Amino acid sequence: MKDTFLLVYRNIRERKTRSILTMLGVVVGIAAVVAIMSISYGMQESITEQLSEMTDIIMVTPGSAELGSFGDFGSFTERDLKDVERISGVKEAAALMGEMQEVEYRGEKVMVEIVGIEPRDMDAVFGATVKLEEDGDSETSASGRELRDNDRKACQIGYSVANDYFNYEIGVNDRLTINGSKFRVIGVLEKQGGFRSNVDAQIYVTKRDAVTIFDTDDISTIFVRVRDIGEAEGIADEIEEQIDDNHKLDDFTSAMAMGGAIEELKSIFQILQVFLLAIASISLIVAAMGIMNTTLMSVMERTHEIGVMKAIGAKNRNILFLFLMEAGVVSGIGGVLGCIVGWGAAEVISFGIYTAFDVEIGVVMKLQVLLAGVAVAVLVGILSGLYPARKASKLSPVEAVRYE
Amino acid sequence: MIHTENLSKTYMMGDVEVQALRAVDLEIKDGEFIAIIGPSGSGKSTLLNLIGCLDTPTSGAVFIDGIDTGKLSENGLAEIRREKIGFIFQQFNLIHTLNALENVALPMFFAGVGRETRIKRADELLAKVGLGDRMYHKPSELSGGQQQRVAIARALSNDPEVVIGDEPTGNVDTETGNAIMGILKGLNRDGRTIIVVTHDAEIAAYAGRTKRMRDGRVLD
Repeated sequence: MKDTFLLVYRNIRERKTRSILTMLGVVVGIAAVVAIMSISYGMQESITEQLSEMTDIIMVTPGSAELGSFGDFGSFTERDLKDVERISGVKEAAALMGEMQEVEYRGEKVMVEIVGIEPRDMDAVFGATVKLEEDGDSETSASGRELRDNDRKACQIGYSVANDYFNYEIGVNDRLTINGSKFRVIGVLEKQGGFRSNVDAQIYVTKRDAVTIFDTDDISTIFVRVRDIGEAEGIADEIEEQIDDNHKLDDFTSAMAMGGAIEELKSIFQILQVFLLAIASISLIVAAMGIMNTTLMSVMERTHEIGVMKAIGAKNRNILFLFLMEAGVVSGIGGVLGCIVGWGAAEVISFGIYTAFDVEIGVVMKLQVLLAGVAVAVLVGILSGLYPARKASKLSPVEAVRYE
Repeated sequence: MIHTENLSKTYMMGDVEVQALRAVDLEIKDGEFIAIIGPSGSGKSTLLNLIGCLDTPTSGAVFIDGIDTGKLSENGLAEIRREKIGFIFQQFNLIHTLNALENVALPMFFAGVGRETRIKRADELLAKVGLGDRMYHKPSELSGGQQQRVAIARALSNDPEVVIGDEPTGNVDTETGNAIMGILKGLNRDGRTIIVVTHDAEIAAYAGRTKRMRDGRVLD
């Protein structure tokens, strides 16, 4: 075996440029597959991580949910909220009031989405994923505290509001002017990003303050958590019916069970993954043709040598094995390099996505993917080497020896 | 012992049928040194290729140690070439990516001989043909005579009973040619059957028996 490798190695080295070019084809193919696999695993993981807390949520909005949550589609009332809470299977229901308002900080005015919420409902809406920012650099040991029921003119602000919206960074105890009245920042929320980046761009106040700022007690969104995710779709239908009834309108309410939407999102990602893999596979097919071509040329060039080997006693399978090994080694090395390049590419893509879209998608490199990458490369090499190698092994010794 | 019966070979050269060999009956005894002499196109190389199991006859048969080689599979023929016959070519036909030692060891590699035995035996054989100091040289770094000696060592690597030479001195000068024939003579003295094809009567003189060929027939 060691000597076969030696023979194979000599032949590969003999045709260095061509071997490297062939290898490059495999490298590109495998790298594309590996990069896509690890990025899409990363996507899946971040979806699962970010959204798993949201699967039991039904988001109730007026009008069609696809058109955005805080549009001019009407609003809900306290009575709607009470009715929703009474529907069986509903664990908790929270009302959100939202409006874009002018916010002023150190003379700078920016439109920011203000969300009014009962402080006790915060957990129901966000679950455990939205936390106060852990703060190390400020003199204040933590980034403030949660909103409380008895807070007046106090707000929690999202990460982007605190860091990006204004020229000056906003910290705990700083004061903002929202629609003319002064508010004290009591907490800065941890950066969310990804599917919850909307949280980063919002300012949270108590519902009571919101009523004052907005000059209305209309509810723009009702967040519902259900006891059993399996019943979510049914409960969503019931909610729609109930609120539509209250308002004597048809199709006024849109209640979206997030679980279903998340599943849908996941399946879209899976389709995307398959699609990308299919594209990457094309490069593998091209690589396979490259290997076949190289091996065919190698067989052609070495016809005489094959004849000599047969004349001194090589069996067909000796020749077959030599050429298959050659194709396998070239593609195997290509596969290993492809995994490394693919890994690197995945990191670059992940960084690119982060820089461009501010969405954190980790690179999830699974050992199976790497092993499969190398295995696929070797397999592709051997399969595409099969035809030329068979051709070589079947050569008539006397004709091959005579071939110059 | 090798003998041929009514051995014929017809080639197609484009649309033209060429009768390279016509009903050849030849017997070569064990331990014999036979030279087959004839002009080019007389069919001597074709005869050699058939005896050496590199080619299959159109009709007739080649028997090696009583085995009808026409009844063997491709693998069976490969085994005969590997174990019973050592081939020496006019063009030396060494594998140019391998050094002298590896070239000599190659038939043993195909025979599945262990690495250490292969190297030891290849080493001995190269020393025997006077190339003990050239073992790690590539064919391109060797003279024609040296290459042919490597080829002889390679032909001997699986210790065959028969050594076949197709114009073994055709590509070397007279002096080197004589040296090579001397080596073959020595192998014959050790009991090996030597079959050499040549068009050179001087070379044929090394053999114990000479057969002339013309137009695909062996003349008596």
